[in-house]
Amino acid sequence: MTGVHLFGLAGAALVGCGVYGLLMAPGALGRILAFNILGGGVFLIFGVVARRGAGAGFGADPVPQALVITGIVVAFCATALAAALLVRLSAVDAEVARDGEKEKET
Amino acid sequence: MTADTLAPPLDLSALEPAMPILSEALMVVAIALPLALAFAALVPAVRRALPHVLALVPLPALIAALAVPRGLSVLVAPYPFRFTLALDAPGALLLGGASLLWMTAGAYAMAYLRQDPARPAFMVWWLLTMAGSFAVFLVADVASFYLAYALVSFSAYGLAAHDDTPQARRAGSLYLALTVLGEALLIAAFVMLASGATDANPQIRDAVALLPTSPWKTPILVLILLGFILKMGLFPLHVWMPLAHSVAPVPGSAVLSGVVVKAGVIGLLRFLPEGVPLPGWGAVLCGAGLFTAYYGVAVGLTQTHPKRALAYSTVSQMGVVAAVIGAGILNGTAGTFTIAAFYAANHMLLKGAMFLMVGVAMASSPRRALAAAAVAGLLGLSLAGLPLTGGAMAKYAIKLIVPEGMSGVLLTLSAAGSTLLMARYALLVARSGTEGTPPRGLAVPALILAGLALVLPFLLFEAVTGLPAAVAFAPSALQKGLWPVALGLGLAALLAWRAPRVPEVPAGDILNALGFLGTASRAIMGGAVAADAVLRRWPVAAFALLAIAVLLAATLTFAAVPL
Amino acid sequence: MSALLVLAITAPLLGLVPLLLLGPRTGERAALGMLAVNVAITAGIAERVAQGGRALGYAVGGFAPPLGVGLRADGFAAAMMLMAALVLLFTGLFAMTGPGDMTRKVNARGSAGMPSTFFILLLSLACALNLAFLAQDLFTLYVALELLTFAAVPLVCLEGKAGQLSAALTYLLFALFGSVLYLLGVVLIYGLFGTLDIAHLAGLMAHGAGGWTAAAALALMSAGLMAKAALFPLHLWLPPAHSGAPPAASAVLSAVVIKAPLFLLVRLWSDLAPLPLAQVAGPVFAVCGAAAIVFCGVVALAQERLKLLIAYSTAAQIGYLCLMFPLAASSDGPWSALAWTGGTLHLVSHALSKAAMFLAAGLIAETMGHDRLSGLGGVGRLAPVSVAAFGLGGLSLMGLPPSGGFVAKVMLLTSALQQGSWWIATVVLVGGLLAGGYVLRVVVIALQHPDSDLPDVRECRWRALIALALAFGAMLVGFMPLSPLPFLEIGRPLTWESVLP
Repeated sequence: MTGVHLFGLAGAALVGCGVYGLLMAPGALGRILAFNILGGGVFLIFGVVARRGAGAGFGADPVPQALVITGIVVAFCATALAAALLVRLSAVDAEVARDGEKEKET
Repeated sequence: MTADTLAPPLDLSALEPAMPILSEALMVVAIALPLALAFAALVPAVRRALPHVLALVPLPALIAALAVPRGLSVLVAPYPFRFTLALDAPGALLLGGASLLWMTAGAYAMAYLRQDPARPAFMVWWLLTMAGSFAVFLVADVASFYLAYALVSFSAYGLAAHDDTPQARRAGSLYLALTVLGEALLIAAFVMLASGATDANPQIRDAVALLPTSPWKTPILVLILLGFILKMGLFPLHVWMPLAHSVAPVPGSAVLSGVVVKAGVIGLLRFLPEGVPLPGWGAVLCGAGLFTAYYGVAVGLTQTHPKRALAYSTVSQMGVVAAVIGAGILNGTAGTFTIAAFYAANHMLLKGAMFLMVGVAMASSPRRALAAAAVAGLLGLSLAGLPLTGGAMAKYAIKLIVPEGMSGVLLTLSAAGSTLLMARYALLVARSGTEGTPPRGLAVPALILAGLALVLPFLLFEAVTGLPAAVAFAPSALQKGLWPVALGLGLAALLAWRAPRVPEVPAGDILNALGFLGTASRAIMGGAVAADAVLRRWPVAAFALLAIAVLLAATLTFAAVPL
Repeated sequence: MSALLVLAITAPLLGLVPLLLLGPRTGERAALGMLAVNVAITAGIAERVAQGGRALGYAVGGFAPPLGVGLRADGFAAAMMLMAALVLLFTGLFAMTGPGDMTRKVNARGSAGMPSTFFILLLSLACALNLAFLAQDLFTLYVALELLTFAAVPLVCLEGKAGQLSAALTYLLFALFGSVLYLLGVVLIYGLFGTLDIAHLAGLMAHGAGGWTAAAALALMSAGLMAKAALFPLHLWLPPAHSGAPPAASAVLSAVVIKAPLFLLVRLWSDLAPLPLAQVAGPVFAVCGAAAIVFCGVVALAQERLKLLIAYSTAAQIGYLCLMFPLAASSDGPWSALAWTGGTLHLVSHALSKAAMFLAAGLIAETMGHDRLSGLGGVGRLAPVSVAAFGLGGLSLMGLPPSGGFVAKVMLLTSALQQGSWWIATVVLVGGLLAGGYVLRVVVIALQHPDSDLPDVRECRWRALIALALAFGAMLVGFMPLSPLPFLEIGRPLTWESVLP
């Protein structure tokens, strides 16, 4: 088993886990995590593909590396945005719950 | 039968040198004037002045109908739009009749709605419907016809639903629903019709010329017949008409029955090929028309309100028109369309005047209502074809088209039914008096229109049929015209003497049997909403996303990849 | 080389500077100015494309593709850019703090101009949209789509209420799921061909290379784009996102944001994928589109709230574009070109009319204080211009003349009938019936007598006129000739020859 196969399989496994998580995770936090796992798998496959490009006779293939870095940045932004929304949502929910309790007391 | 060479009944040869430009301008102005005024009504000053001039707005259309040479066409917008106006004999007859009805009914409406705070809105719908109705009779290219037809159909909603009672809302919604359905049927037909032509937006005449050889002849004809019959109110697509007429204000009913349903007539005349025998189609149309002619009478007789009785009479009369057109295309008889338009124009004026008389009677003391009922009865007898009235000329003309035999006899007998229904109508008018004297603003326009309706067919007869008017006064013709009316009057007397107790058929008759459709559509909507809630749950949607990707990949792989 | 293309992407970002540095009022005016400049730039691009009769190109940094990143504007892209720029400008004008906003008493109901955050998002959208329409390599398009999503998600939750936040979160997560699938497709394509430039890929794939991997890649990318476009049955995020968003946000969301993934879907299957593959994939999209038109149309009929009704109508109307795929992919020259024009015109006219309708619905809701249909009787008296804008925009949805929707519908119908696709023709007609049902239902209610006393407020007239202008725009599209539009064919098929020096 070469490194290409190993990384390829690992990428596929991550993609599988991520997809499973996105389908089955009950809450938003789980889905955010699953999205990151899925993204990680895709980036790993991207790297493997670059390795294959090198195997196909290119000296080295720097383009995917640049793209993967860009992709990681984008995915990071997405995660940050989603997490921010989630935090805000739980804060608002807590506020609503507190107001509700107050109303009950009075 | 001089359909194409029909001369204008008015001799305006002195204007000859200026004619082309003037005529072209007239046709454009006839449509543009009401349309422009409808938009100008946004300005308060115009809105205040409008009631005084509303009766004059149709004047250019009237002059156009009289003076514009037949066959003239104007290209208003050049290629690629090819927005074209043209006036042929059927168009001129209907345009002229419509403009007279719009004028008198316009004057009548302003008096009728004097106290109504919503009068400005009514005027805007009025002007829009008017513009659409003139355009329908004038346009010559397919796309503009669709536009004009949509304009007249949708604007008429504002007239029908003006009173905004629960019944009016129901009637208006039904009218809109059927109008949208009709538009869908027609656009499908028009697209099929036009796609045979080389131009994207062909002239109606060119497109229809290709119809007999079109690969889609059958679907086109089915869709066209359904679409226009819906507007004419043939059974079983007549359900909107009694509902809408019974709730609309009187002048609104007059133009709905008089003009708006004629959009369906002109549609059939424009989009069926004249002079080409279409036996099966003609028979179907003729049969449907004859059935409707009797059906309208039968249901109309049970009505207790004169406007609803008139609405069913319109259903019945449009059945007659359809039967004439059907008989004409059955044999490909030349001149059919002009005569059908003549009959329709006759009905337009008579029915308009009859509706206006109902309003006059309702504003009169019982004694004066009797006088109104006398005029109404005379109009009714004219509609039934009593000799020496204008209606008899129209009846004589349609007998030229419908062959002797089964359909001819049935058509003649339908005049007896018409007489019966008209007697019922006159009786209801006589009973509808309340108190007071009718304001002059109501009585004068109604009487003018009644006079025109009784006289004009004599003047037009020769131009339409090519026969001298005297043929209709021959003893045999008089006798032929007299016996159905006499039969009808006899039946009416019999019914008055010993009337069987028949409960009133509610307006919209068969519609009430279709209640299950409402239940079914509510069930469908409820089911769709429930299904939507399931589809929009995260796991379902996420799974659907994956499934689409897999499905697409599998389809591509198995169907296309081994190239 | 045309620097206008770069300017189209960078100019909107320049507008952010005053917004962040100066006060909200000045920044707002500067942002509007920049949106106007954006219209001028896109109009300039469209004008040059039309004049020259060929696509404009730009190689970033002077490196020609496939090595560098290329931008390219053909007729289709130019038309979409201009449409998007116009909608953004009009929405921006609608959302600005204008005359009367400070004093009118309806302010309590949120009639005041939008916060300056909204303008930041609007400018970011302008940038992302222009990038999505101009970029020519699959990865840059991925970035553009992500930018678009990041700018669109906060639009949904500007007020920060719980319902809005959870709608925004659902939207974001589902869009991210879609974009990861898209990215996976891009990765597979790169692994196969070693390039991501669409023009080069089209050349490489034309010979049927790639086998099932290429098929899988295209399928993944398409599914991802469909998720972002909210195409049935992937529309879960669209109705909740619209239900809470302010009207100006809904307008851009429905009118332009979901149009970018649809545009890319067209790019993918008209320009990138070889014809045999497109012919196989076409029916799949058409089935989804037909289901969207019928199903979402019925659901729209059942809605009780005006905004949700329009939202479901959006979900239904994007189906029309998908009906175009099998028609446009046929080898039947003129009729497929007609379908292509029809689909594109539908995109444009739907954008204009839907923006008009959302803005009008916002004004109606503001006037009445709610948007429950059952309580909107008589609103035509309080908000006549808004109701007129709603109705005229609705003409286009119903496919009645004169409107862009009518022209598009006739083209799609003609093409479907000529190619013998009776079921597509039927779906187009049924969709028109359903649209007639839900549009007229609102108009009829608005014209009725009020059931109870109307509140003593008037619509905001100048905002209503903006909505009306958009509706008139949708009607103007209806004055196109009923034949394939040569402008949309400029620059197809994709190539860099004669575009770059």
